[in-house]
Amino acid sequence: MGQKQKDKIMDSFITVILFLIFIVMFYPFYYVLILSFNKGTDSLTGAIYFWPRSFTFENYERFLSDPHWYKAFLVTIMRTLSGTVLGVLLTSIVAYGLSHQQLLFRKTYFTIIIFAMYFSGGLIPYYVVLRSIGLLNTFGVYIIPSMLSTFFLLIAISFFRDIPGELKESAHMDGASELVIFYKVILPVSMPLIATMSLFTGVGQWNSWLDSAYFVQSDNLRTLAFRMMEVINKSNIPMDSLAIANSSSAGATSYSLQLAAMVISVAPIVCVYPFLQKYFVQGVMLGSVKG
Amino acid sequence: MEVETKVSHSVQWSHRRAQFFKQLKKQRVLHLFVGLGMIFLLIFSYTPMFGILMAFKEYSISSGIKGIFTSEWVGLKHFNEFVSDYRFGEIVRNTLVLSFLKVLFTFPAPILLAILLNEARNLRFKKIVQTVSYLPHFISWVVVAGIAFSFLSADIGMINKALMSLGLIDKPMDILTNADHFWGLAVGSAVWKEVGWWTIIFLAAIAGIDPTLYEAAQIDGAGRLARIRHITFQGMKGTIVVVLILTIGSILGGGLVGSNFEQAFLFGNSINNSTSEIVQTYAFKVGLRDGRFSYAAAIDLIQSIIAVILIFSSNFIAKRASGSSLF
Repeated sequence: MGQKQKDKIMDSFITVILFLIFIVMFYPFYYVLILSFNKGTDSLTGAIYFWPRSFTFENYERFLSDPHWYKAFLVTIMRTLSGTVLGVLLTSIVAYGLSHQQLLFRKTYFTIIIFAMYFSGGLIPYYVVLRSIGLLNTFGVYIIPSMLSTFFLLIAISFFRDIPGELKESAHMDGASELVIFYKVILPVSMPLIATMSLFTGVGQWNSWLDSAYFVQSDNLRTLAFRMMEVINKSNIPMDSLAIANSSSAGATSYSLQLAAMVISVAPIVCVYPFLQKYFVQGVMLGSVKG
Repeated sequence: MEVETKVSHSVQWSHRRAQFFKQLKKQRVLHLFVGLGMIFLLIFSYTPMFGILMAFKEYSISSGIKGIFTSEWVGLKHFNEFVSDYRFGEIVRNTLVLSFLKVLFTFPAPILLAILLNEARNLRFKKIVQTVSYLPHFISWVVVAGIAFSFLSADIGMINKALMSLGLIDKPMDILTNADHFWGLAVGSAVWKEVGWWTIIFLAAIAGIDPTLYEAAQIDGAGRLARIRHITFQGMKGTIVVVLILTIGSILGGGLVGSNFEQAFLFGNSINNSTSEIVQTYAFKVGLRDGRFSYAAAIDLIQSIIAVILIFSSNFIAKRASGSSLF
């Protein structure tokens, strides 16, 4: 019986710890959410824990009418859509070529890819290259340099290789070209792969701000995450933070606008989360197995 | 006789050559696909690798790519300059301390969480905790920094306000703007963001353990802790070694959770600069902000060389110690 008693104590101990972990993980999101629906000037007095004290949509209205924010929002949507579509397309079409076992120079191609995975020139030479091909300070810098993902390339190759050969051969017999085979035969049976790649590429694009900080100066090309970074950088200096938070018109402050931006930035991820979850476990496993 | 073999040899060779070109022609579309990818790698991976040369030269940005090859050699000038920089010691220390502290905490955390989750009896509860725990992995570091600000800021942070109103502290804690707290802040936020994500891999390892082992251990009278130690942990060992190798190889970027740069950039400010400035942020500032490209490239290169040495030596040690390695 002693053992049972001990088990019970341990069960409740584990439950308590896991519950605390749940709170620590979940509450920050909830707190930001309720604060974003609270009147900005009112939030500064604190003591809001469970629900908005002075409920308002003002922060969101201001977000959408402030050209600073909504332009960044549009740029982020555009880069996410085009970056994901183009990136997945290029990576999978290259992977399709490489998945043919009898491809000439296959080993050479692979060596080139693996070497590029392990070594890089670093930020400064990369910047010089982007500058001399004219990508600096353009929308293209968000999309083109990251179009080919070597990580997903390896995953996609192993996926395509496992597609039964009869599928491709019968299409070859019908005289279809490789492009048609890829589009009509390979893509439809590769939906789990395409979904995984799209979701991860999309989330990466959506969250990205480093490329905006490194390679872009134009105010019109800033991303949502970059704008949020700017506010954080400014408000990290004490004294300034109160002034910035108070730099308000009507009830919204730059801090409460920032909270609305954070919710808008997290919301799409929470929306695709159920789909992500379905695919990412296998994604992680594939990635770890193939190294 | 000799002439004959020569002829047949050349016939064979030209036949093989014809075969080769026939195959190449048949595969031309496939090579076109692959070639497209190779062009991207050539431009965005291999050209920058040649750019490393600029670390040994007096490169000026106005000379473009060509300037990498034509500019004047200066040997190790930029490396010497970095080593004798008055901030060199501080920056290297910050990079190493941040990296080691992060690995020290972010590596075991997901292992512990995986074991805890595995011990939870209520499967629904387990699933909910797990689902919430990997959400932070998918949000931007910028949002994490924003959340940290709304909780910890000295002026408007919720924790400071709450503790003050309860009378537990009489002046706000300056966690975000105190050099003494930067490392704790970086480690804490990294654990919060990534612990759930890396738990997935360890839970998958636990799922692969034969359940009859647990039954047998129970019959043998093994208690819960003994079962965790001898079965669950043993079953995870292979995965733990692989993850550890990957972690040590990438330690200078912050281990597998990475993001040393993003953290130093977002949580760093003029006040905690003495602990938050790392090699990467320094290279970024002198390079892209001040336009000293050769100097910044040299700083970058030092870090890359140490990183590559770490990758290969950790792999070597792992191969020796446990027989499992990545390459």
